Amino acid sequence: MRFMVMVKATKDSEAGAPPTRELVDAMMAYNEELVKAGIMKGGDGLQPSSKGVRVQFDGARRAVVDGPFAETKELVAGYWLWECASLDEAIAWVKRCPNPMPGPSEIEIRPVVDIADFGEMVSPEAAATWDRLKNEVGQS
Amino acid sequence: MRVMVLVKASKDSEAGIMPSEDLLTRMGAYNEELVKAGVMLAGEGLHPSSKGIRMRFSGSERAITDGPFAETKELVCGFWLWQVKSFEEAVEWLKRAPFEDGAEIELRRVFEMEDFGEAMTPELREQEERLQAQAAKLAGKPA
Repeated sequence: MRFMVMVKATKDSEAGAPPTRELVDAMMAYNEELVKAGIMKGGDGLQPSSKGVRVQFDGARRAVVDGPFAETKELVAGYWLWECASLDEAIAWVKRCPNPMPGPSEIEIRPVVDIADFGEMVSPEAAATWDRLKNEVGQS
Repeated sequence: MRVMVLVKASKDSEAGIMPSEDLLTRMGAYNEELVKAGVMLAGEGLHPSSKGIRMRFSGSERAITDGPFAETKELVCGFWLWQVKSFEEAVEWLKRAPFEDGAEIELRRVFEMEDFGEAMTPELREQEERLQAQAAKLAGKPA
């Protein structure tokens, strides 16, 4: 089963405060463990929302709104993509994560949709297209 | 450069309502274009937040809260990771996506090693590159 693990933003991450050497080392070590365990499928830090935008869709209209965005603790500051046997396993791994921020913080774990989850609701053609696309980006 | 495209949730996505066949078809065609253009690096849909959890970190304390979570339009229901030449290129691609009225999609720059400047020491850079190669090997992909 795959999971998206999101580190939520804080005032510090939104301010672009660089991580301490300690945190960098601790995260590197943690990421090594994730890789060795075969769990790590991807992961990145996101730059503060001041460097981002939101695009709003309304009929044919597209509105582009510049960051920063106000709801700090709902923003994503970083993510991983993991392959785990269960949500419980993902939770156990998140518990071992070093504090990702200088102060209190939050990590959200969300199961990723697999085409198989939709069963008969998806036509065989659609499922085949999905598989082909995944193969093309080397994601399967 | 890489960008992350975060698709925000809606009442429908949180209710686990499947997109229409028409929307799925248009999204499939859009994803094909992204792949053909070499822009698509990754993309996934997320199950509703009722299937997820949040873990609060405070010192050595860890506290788990089960979904669902209330602030629907701030929740993520899907994402892409794109490789683009500029942020503006990403914005143009996003404007062409077949989202429906009321959709709000967030576009964020991804930190690359160059962005860390002097904080990314040669030792750290080497460790990071080795980790990425190791991860790619385990995933059966070219590094």
